[in-house]
Amino acid sequence: MFEHGTNTKERNLQGGAITSVNIVVAHGLEARPLISMLELQPEKTDGRYLVYSNSAGATLIVSGMGRDAVIAATNYLGEQQRDEDDRLRGWLNLGIAGHRTAEIGSAWLANKITEQISGASAYPPQLLAGFASCKVITVDKPETAYPEDAVYEMEASAFYEVATKFSTAELVQVFKIISDNSSNPVNNIDLAMVPTWISTQENEILDLLSKLEFLVTEYNVSHSLSPAYESFCARYYLTVNQKIQLKRLCQRYRAMGREADLIAMSVSASGTGKQLLQDLDSQLNGVSSR
Amino acid sequence: MFSAIYIEQEVAEFERVRRLLDRFPQVPQVICERYGQIFNRKSQNFRLQKKSPALILAKKYGSLVLPAPAGYGFDESNSYYFSHMLNCIYDCRYCFLQGMYSSANYVLFVNYEDFESALEDKIIENDGAGVYYSGYDCDSLALEPISSFCRHFVPVFSKFPDATLEIRTKSTQIRCLLEQNVLDNCVIAMSFTSQQAAIQWEHKVPTLEKRIEALRKLQQAGWKIAIRFEPLVLDGKHGESYRSLFKSIFSSLDVDKIHSVSSGLFRMPVEFHKRIVKLYPDEELFARPTSVADGMIALKNEDEDLQLMEIERHLFEYISPQQYYRCA
Repeated sequence: MFEHGTNTKERNLQGGAITSVNIVVAHGLEARPLISMLELQPEKTDGRYLVYSNSAGATLIVSGMGRDAVIAATNYLGEQQRDEDDRLRGWLNLGIAGHRTAEIGSAWLANKITEQISGASAYPPQLLAGFASCKVITVDKPETAYPEDAVYEMEASAFYEVATKFSTAELVQVFKIISDNSSNPVNNIDLAMVPTWISTQENEILDLLSKLEFLVTEYNVSHSLSPAYESFCARYYLTVNQKIQLKRLCQRYRAMGREADLIAMSVSASGTGKQLLQDLDSQLNGVSSR
Repeated sequence: MFSAIYIEQEVAEFERVRRLLDRFPQVPQVICERYGQIFNRKSQNFRLQKKSPALILAKKYGSLVLPAPAGYGFDESNSYYFSHMLNCIYDCRYCFLQGMYSSANYVLFVNYEDFESALEDKIIENDGAGVYYSGYDCDSLALEPISSFCRHFVPVFSKFPDATLEIRTKSTQIRCLLEQNVLDNCVIAMSFTSQQAAIQWEHKVPTLEKRIEALRKLQQAGWKIAIRFEPLVLDGKHGESYRSLFKSIFSSLDVDKIHSVSSGLFRMPVEFHKRIVKLYPDEELFARPTSVADGMIALKNEDEDLQLMEIERHLFEYISPQQYYRCA
């Protein structure tokens, strides 16, 4: 999608499309600027959630507010994507939040997420450089006193707990944009301003997504499988265990610079699945099994 | 230098911690309860974290001085190791730490005084003797400008002349040693692999030349030095790659004064290897045929003994067999 945009370089600082990131927002008002920013289109779903995506694969879900809602929505999206083999996706919870002193419209990456009711904390790895970071406290009711020097919101802890079941912690991040503070308390929020606050952070958001995407891509490329794997699977009956063995053998061929041999075998091999695995192993180890 | 600094609440007011934090005002500083919340959590990826590790400042509890693994050291006497730090700033693809820890973040245990007491107790328990290794779970010197590890721990051994401290490293951070009195019972052991292996698998490690130069300076200053050829990755070329390595190293040093030289083949616990393969399925080193014995995995080499003998033959062109031992 970015390839056709007018500000490609600005929009995607790492040079590739945002293809493998899920964005979870609580409210439609938070979704609106992101839909425009990422050129997302509504997906047909079973009606439980509003889900948007683009042709490159970025996905956004509107969860509803609070911990229970975000648990359900994050689980829903994660389960929907389960058939993507071993590929990981990045996950970003983005939304508005309060802070005692932070400027309205400023944006913060979570470096610690504490669930107020349980006191439990999580620490998202800080691999995405260049963003102001802060502790995030997830509360069940809007916070008006802002007792700590922290960002207050209602979804992050639950989101983080669930999203890290579908991806690795480095690829799960929380980014909050300040909508209220001591001078402009939560009761006075002008909801009409929400899309504006988020749009104002467009460059930051796209930078964040690009950096997240970069990590996701690096992981997925290093763990990608040779096309020969699918070819073997189509030609042989293989048990679950045999598929695991085949997968590792394919990885080994590629790592040793012998993928061409593997592909050649994938079109010529015959016999049983067991024999296939033996042959692949023997050839890799320089031993003839027949 | 660090993507973040996590500080255990318990050590936040330690003078050592305050001084360290003052040096990194620009790095996000995050208070945590126990380091394990970050370091041991599930669903994290060592490989991704290695791109930008964080520093965790923590207090070490439990046994601080542990028996060294069998075959680890150079001496028959009782051997122990202690780890003021977990993980290493270098990124050597063959390193077992990748399989031992789920996080690539650096943990620096800042309760040095507790380590000091534990070391003293252990030395006294051993009638003032024993060998004490640092650098098993980390590189001892690499973070010296921040940790001041040597500045603190080397003087501890000045009180126990019959106890030996071995500082295992690949670092050239030797200023702290050059600035203090030479200790006869302290050995600085530098690790090397062949030039080809270093290029292929050792990332962020000082060059061979710089490491040799650091050793030369240490030796000139009177420090005992040792050479560790680990891990040996045999290439079937009759040790040719090691021949040039040996020449570079031993022609630069006073060989007679070298405390010891050792070699050790690439090997690690099977479970560590499994975890590393999951992290680096695309790494050629881990795609090679392997053999397993006693829970340890090694690269399969049909003429391993012959190749080892070739390497040792080249080695003995420079050093005496009495200076040499093979790691188990």
